[in-house]
Amino acid sequence: MDLNQLNSAFTLFLSLLVEAFPFLILGVVFSGLLLFFVDERKLIKLMPKHPLLGAFAGSCVGFLFPVCECGNVPVARRLLMQGAPAPVAIGFLLAAPTINPIVFWSTWVAFRDQPEIVFLRVGLSLVIATIIGWVFSAQADLRPLLQPTVARAIPTRSEERGSRGQAEVSPLLQSGTFLLGQTGQPLRMDTTELQASMVAAATFNKPLPDRLYLLLENTVQELRELGGVLILGSAIAALIQAFVPRELILGLGQGPITSILAMMLLAALVSICSTVDAFFALSFASVFTSGSLLAFLVFGPMIDLKGVGLMLSIFKTRAVIYLFALAAQLTFLSTLFLNLHVS
Amino acid sequence: MSAESSSARRRRRSERWAISWLPWLDVIAITAWGVLLLKYWITGRLNLLIHPNYTWLAIAGGVSLLLIGGSKALTLLPQLFPRRNGAVPAQSVQHLSLFPPGWSSTLLLVTAILGFLIIPRAFVSQTALQRGVTDTLTMTRAHPQAFRTSIDSASRSLIEWVRTLNVYPEPDAYTGQKVKVQGFVIHAPDLPEQYFLLSRFVITCCAADAYPVGLPVKLKESRKDYPPDTWLEIEGQMITAELAGKRQLTIQPRSIKQIPEPKNPYDY
Repeated sequence: MDLNQLNSAFTLFLSLLVEAFPFLILGVVFSGLLLFFVDERKLIKLMPKHPLLGAFAGSCVGFLFPVCECGNVPVARRLLMQGAPAPVAIGFLLAAPTINPIVFWSTWVAFRDQPEIVFLRVGLSLVIATIIGWVFSAQADLRPLLQPTVARAIPTRSEERGSRGQAEVSPLLQSGTFLLGQTGQPLRMDTTELQASMVAAATFNKPLPDRLYLLLENTVQELRELGGVLILGSAIAALIQAFVPRELILGLGQGPITSILAMMLLAALVSICSTVDAFFALSFASVFTSGSLLAFLVFGPMIDLKGVGLMLSIFKTRAVIYLFALAAQLTFLSTLFLNLHVS
Repeated sequence: MSAESSSARRRRRSERWAISWLPWLDVIAITAWGVLLLKYWITGRLNLLIHPNYTWLAIAGGVSLLLIGGSKALTLLPQLFPRRNGAVPAQSVQHLSLFPPGWSSTLLLVTAILGFLIIPRAFVSQTALQRGVTDTLTMTRAHPQAFRTSIDSASRSLIEWVRTLNVYPEPDAYTGQKVKVQGFVIHAPDLPEQYFLLSRFVITCCAADAYPVGLPVKLKESRKDYPPDTWLEIEGQMITAELAGKRQLTIQPRSIKQIPEPKNPYDY
């Protein structure tokens, strides 16, 4: 390791941060604003009943909620709790971090020279999220797959199922307390809870100064959290670029299969926010196959370490594993097809 | 027992301390990043980091961060006066999901401070070699943005030469054309002793995607007089040389002039 290498790693790291920060702020502020002004109950009423159409519509709702993968989980949870059909909620959960204008724009900024990456990213995410949402419609009652807290909050039509959900309540889960805004208790350290408490109940009725205060609080908190993740992600990208031997990266990055697997693994580990992950991928653009870049851009926003943690606040482990397996397979197969037959 | 209660009291006090000071850490970290972004803009360092198209985004980002930090500071001010504590909503408690309290803002603050201390520098030949200027002398990913053939060959920049070559790669077509280009020196290990590469980095978005392009220069003597990373302006004409088994467009210099590193060392 020498000084030049270190300096170029640091320059690379800074450049990723400087380029990504504005998009991060935009995403955080925009999603905060929309959470205040879009009433998802009305939205759910508009959703089609057909499972496939529902999954597709749910996936497209991301355009209204430009959240990245930290904001989509609380929103998906509220959608479920307010009676959205499973395909709609799952379509939204998986697609929203990618199918949104800010992510589209930041991907465009990063991959101006390869517009096909931008459109394929949106297209593939839409298709995969819709398929998975559709698959989940086979489970007519989603409640056995949900955490008891969420399951019990879903409007019930048959009481016997509700009582089954009740039996599974763990004493560790303080079901629904945060929804009542009881923040005096020792809080679980969880972004989700603030967001949920922020919008779940009475935000629409609160006086403007309170709402603005909550918006600011939400913005600061997300900036801090996502900023931290962004810094770690950028540092990883910079270190890999500067210190991993080029032959290794070339060897890994140009095999049609290895490149996809490597980028999917990276996506899951790095957990970088979808509004800025395009810049991360960009630093691999010259050596990795297009398919593998797409795998990173499509898979990362759906499933990553940070997201899995948040998803466990909605789903039981089993369901998260299903989601993970489906998303991974579909991403792998579709990008492999692109690698072998298109580019 | 009294020791226990005093330790509990101490713990409570330190928790209270953390609760009252952690939000200020956020304010400082966010504001520091705002100042850093604006500083890069004012000192012209943004050019080393991102494509000029996105300068305004970084400026807007810096201003927004200052506004957010400032507003947060305003809401925290009443807390400094304990009597009015009741006015502060209870939600100023930390909520964190990935890091323990304070870590994330500390990380932000530490990187901002590093950003103030360490000055970003333009990439040098070592990075170029690492990124593979020797593998392909033509562009690795960008599609040609500008293609001009009618202009005088001597006014083509290095990038324009490479682009032209990319579209019509027959080196003989350019033999004898006048050339005047600027770039920095790379000593490619697989080139013979009298050759070096004259290179520039091209960026399309940010330094993360900077990739080097270059043309070989044929010297009469050894390249030792032109150490790596020296910026040169070379005038001469184009010839075709046989390098590493490939026929390549090569610059035969008439004059080689050392120049200072340009303020904006990248090309687009």
